[in-house]
Amino acid sequence: MTPAPDRLGTTLVRIGRALPELARVSVSRHVAYRAELTLWILTSLLPLVMLAVWSTVTEQAVIAGYGQTEVARYFVATLIVRQLTGAWVVWELGFLIRSGRLNTELLRPFPPLVVQATWMITALPFRLAVLSPIVAALVWWRPDLLAFPGWTALGLTAVSLALAWALNFLVQVCFGMLAFWFDRSDGLFELWTSLWFLLSGYVAPMAFFPDAWRGWLDWLPFRATLGTPVELLGGFSDPSRVGLDLFRQAAWVVVAFVLARVLWTRGLARYGAFGS
Amino acid sequence: MGSLTQPLAVLGALVRVSLMTGMQYRANFLADVATGAIRTLSTLGPVLLVYSRTDTIAGWTLPEALLVLALYLLMEGFVGGVIEPNLSMVVEGVREGSLDLILLRPADAQLMISLRTVAPSRLWDLVGGVIVGGWALATLPSLPTPIDVGVAAVLMLSGVAAVYGLWILAICLSFWFVRVDNLRFVLWSAFDTGMWPIPVFQGWIRAVLTYLVPVAVMTSFPAMAITGRWSPALVAQGLAIGVAFLGISRWTWRRALASYTSASS
Repeated sequence: MTPAPDRLGTTLVRIGRALPELARVSVSRHVAYRAELTLWILTSLLPLVMLAVWSTVTEQAVIAGYGQTEVARYFVATLIVRQLTGAWVVWELGFLIRSGRLNTELLRPFPPLVVQATWMITALPFRLAVLSPIVAALVWWRPDLLAFPGWTALGLTAVSLALAWALNFLVQVCFGMLAFWFDRSDGLFELWTSLWFLLSGYVAPMAFFPDAWRGWLDWLPFRATLGTPVELLGGFSDPSRVGLDLFRQAAWVVVAFVLARVLWTRGLARYGAFGS
Repeated sequence: MGSLTQPLAVLGALVRVSLMTGMQYRANFLADVATGAIRTLSTLGPVLLVYSRTDTIAGWTLPEALLVLALYLLMEGFVGGVIEPNLSMVVEGVREGSLDLILLRPADAQLMISLRTVAPSRLWDLVGGVIVGGWALATLPSLPTPIDVGVAAVLMLSGVAAVYGLWILAICLSFWFVRVDNLRFVLWSAFDTGMWPIPVFQGWIRAVLTYLVPVAVMTSFPAMAITGRWSPALVAQGLAIGVAFLGISRWTWRRALASYTSASS
């Protein structure tokens, strides 16, 4: 299944040609299932719960430089970043593999993951649109949480967001492909999610963890999928360490990509053996 | 057979059969149990992290918050282990028409759809709830009086009734709108608020979590009772919410059944 190096160029050209049409189909799909998409977005409001909790805590004392305003800004940024880095490819892949519908996907002249990626990227504007009234309400409640991070930080946030999205997507791809080997791969992804909730910066800013933990927490992939762009967007990152943070994100993207590639090749060989 | 013993006999049979079905796929069962244990453990994380930075939130100490967490885990075990798997089966049944087979049986349909299956992996939430609850009670400065425990038990039952009623209402929606799968994920994420003491939330959010998505009745109210912070008004409020949800859900269930036009006929 691995394309020969000389054919990589042709594949890319094919993808490029198909992309506008793929994007158009994906957008109509989101429009058709707009109610469903909205409900999905409403399931990711945990940052608001954590905002209430940490807001109560920081009423009494400032924690690691975070007062009530900073906590509000952090979790609003979390809310936005979570929507902009979301994917659901793990469920899609699991379904495609288990039901055998991957066969149809494989007939396309380019890798099935291109379709999935287009589908999930085109959801991002919808996600932002649904989120905007909630964010507007929060800003109305606490106008001081709006702080312009500066053009440089905004540019870096965009880079960091793209890397976080790619990492989330690729991690899900890896877990999704485990369906080639196990009937119930969803459970394993749930394990990842439990750890991710705790260690990515989703339930608390990384600065709230004990200092001794920070050293190794920062090297784990979890913060790279969420915490890093959130800190950049909210204006919390240490300028001297932004480079290192982005490097860690990029490094994890590469690791996840290589892993996904290996799993794909091996899994497909196995899948072919079973399907024919 | 008396009219009271029949539902109980049906209940016993349903629980037995669904446990057997759950354990039939052994590898799956073991994997589910393992992931369930880790998931249960990870719910402790946020609470412990918060209390590593403060002694009280909204006047609640760590043992008191752990009580709330224990009740939250019990609720998760109940909802995830019993209610939710059944809800998805009903939604399937309405879509495919297989619900007819249940409706034809000579037992109460609401009872039948409520207990057709259990998810054994969620047993860990119940185990975790008991352990965390024991830990909380052991670290509380004083043991609760028998009256406090009794009040807590009553409030907890009322909370269970309210949460059950809410899910039945969600099931009923599937009779009119077939696609409500996603609604359960929204409910789940609303339930996540139940792991925190209710005074953490303010204003209308607190009202929503008490009256509309009554997680507070199930988690915070009994915890307040155990720590002796209950008043007759609180008990009356908790009971009223439980009874109201049961009544409204029963009424809606009947209405929904009446308007059910089978997909297979």
